[in-house]
Amino acid sequence: MTAKMQRFQKNLRQQSIFFLAGLIALSLTGCEKAQPVSYQIPKKEQVVQTPGPLSTPTVASTEAAPAMQVLPGMQQAANEAGEIGYTTPENWVEKPASGIRKANFIITSDTGSAEVTVLTFPGDVGGRLANINRWRGQIGLEDATAEDLPAYTQGYEIDGHRGLFIRLEGETQSILGALLPFHGNTWFFKMLGDSATVLNHETSMKQFLDSIKMEAHSH
Amino acid sequence: MRQLLKFFSSLKLTVALLSLSMALIFFGTLDQVEYGIWHTQKLYFESFLAVWAYPEAWAAYDQLFWLRIPMPGGYLLGGLLLINLVTAHITRFKLTLNKSGIFLIHFGLILLLVSELLTDVFSKESQMPVDEGGRSNYSQEYRANELVLIDRSQADFDTVHSIPVAMLKPGKTVIVPDSPLSIRTVSYYPNAQIGRAQQGAAPIKSPADQGVATKMGIVVTPAKVTYAENAINTATAYIEVLSPQGSLGTWLVSNVIDDRFPPQLLSLGEQSWEIALRLKRHYYPFEIELIDFSHEKYPGTEIPFNFSSEVMVHHNDSTKNQKALIYMNHPMRYEGLTFYQASFANDDRTSIFQVVRNPGWALPYISVLLMGLGMLVQFGMHFFKFLRKRASV
Repeated sequence: MTAKMQRFQKNLRQQSIFFLAGLIALSLTGCEKAQPVSYQIPKKEQVVQTPGPLSTPTVASTEAAPAMQVLPGMQQAANEAGEIGYTTPENWVEKPASGIRKANFIITSDTGSAEVTVLTFPGDVGGRLANINRWRGQIGLEDATAEDLPAYTQGYEIDGHRGLFIRLEGETQSILGALLPFHGNTWFFKMLGDSATVLNHETSMKQFLDSIKMEAHSH
Repeated sequence: MRQLLKFFSSLKLTVALLSLSMALIFFGTLDQVEYGIWHTQKLYFESFLAVWAYPEAWAAYDQLFWLRIPMPGGYLLGGLLLINLVTAHITRFKLTLNKSGIFLIHFGLILLLVSELLTDVFSKESQMPVDEGGRSNYSQEYRANELVLIDRSQADFDTVHSIPVAMLKPGKTVIVPDSPLSIRTVSYYPNAQIGRAQQGAAPIKSPADQGVATKMGIVVTPAKVTYAENAINTATAYIEVLSPQGSLGTWLVSNVIDDRFPPQLLSLGEQSWEIALRLKRHYYPFEIELIDFSHEKYPGTEIPFNFSSEVMVHHNDSTKNQKALIYMNHPMRYEGLTFYQASFANDDRTSIFQVVRNPGWALPYISVLLMGLGMLVQFGMHFFKFLRKRASV
């Protein structure tokens, strides 16, 4: 090997060592530290709708919506969603609609009591599964997966529109409910209370659902 | 020293490291079911040590819940592989014409490892939603939040004081830079349910005595952090604001209490600030205007075929203005940022861009090119040698 070649190799070695040391230093200093900062921005604030988080463009647009929470700002939206007509079943005591509740009933029987509420929110409010799991949580049940849904849901027509009837049996409390997507809103009909009372009132709950007349402003 | 060099340059170490990498990928893939890609990447690949725990969803969890398998994380393995390859070159390999192909391949590989590290350390991803006909000059990170105090008293600009949520530790006080204020975190929840107080329900007692929490009766129920890809954690905190004269009160802030609500104001003498917790924002010296978003579907289905956004970039320096069409696999590169078409919302009236700042974006291309070239040289040499041998026979 020529002397020139040897010198070249020695240089290469030295350079590699520096390169390696540089890398290690880089990886040590690279970690960003959380620090408060101040900065200035132009006066004009952009008003943009808060959209969903990243979803790949291969999914349909409905899935791009984020899991939305029920917020106090929804009151106005509830007011704009229109009203419903219904017949109050026997033994149900109607309470005045309050706040975001469109209707409100109390049922009392020997076995306990239950409350029926009707609410509406814009959008899909996080989707079918999320809402059913929210209800499951309210009566102390574990979250369910999408595969489990058919076990306690069934398609149910409300005023000619496709809805979903839901039956959730908990230890002490149970829920009979229905979801109805209607003109960009989701309607929630829910009977929650002592298990025996709720399960005994399945017929009257279905009677109530069958009596519902949707009145959308856009009809 | 010689021993150490020998150890680090040995081929055995290479094989051991590669086997461990395979194990890491295997267990990382198992955990991805539970944590999603983003969190798994942090746990397994952007770490020095990863610990796999027996998944709750598996059979016999009750007996095996204690099972934990620690393993070297991605940074450790990648770093050691890098050291292994570089020391092997220093001690064993000699640069000769015959081996030039291998050198090229190895150099490409080293570059790839380095570029991965650079990407992890320096790259930033965020999203910019823009409405059709609207403009935006900032993007936001969906997995990072910041507490901001905004001073809007100046005529032509606003001053934003930003504190990363990582600094919101209960009981800790943080000085707000360039202001007379400091904040004390009463409590911080990485995820929570926010709702109106209802009778019967008793979540945690609200320490807030100012702002929206008291006006609208909002209550907080702490929730488990979600790692789902299309869900945002509702970061929420109770923040006490302190002035040199004493406490100004305690506010409830949350990233769902956003522009839809009236701003929460606090004032000290003549000055006032808006206080909010929001998704971490990055502001740019330019605005992106969405001229048109189009979304084509395969006929008769809801399956997207193509999305494209026609945008106009308005820079503070108008010589840098430009028009662009952003669509799948055709991002816009501008000012060191890359804008990808990521998603859309609002019945196709809002386009969402993924904004990526990655100073090392070109390195993987170069390294793959080098490796390809190296293989061509190496195999080409063997091929011609073979041809010559045949000809001589």
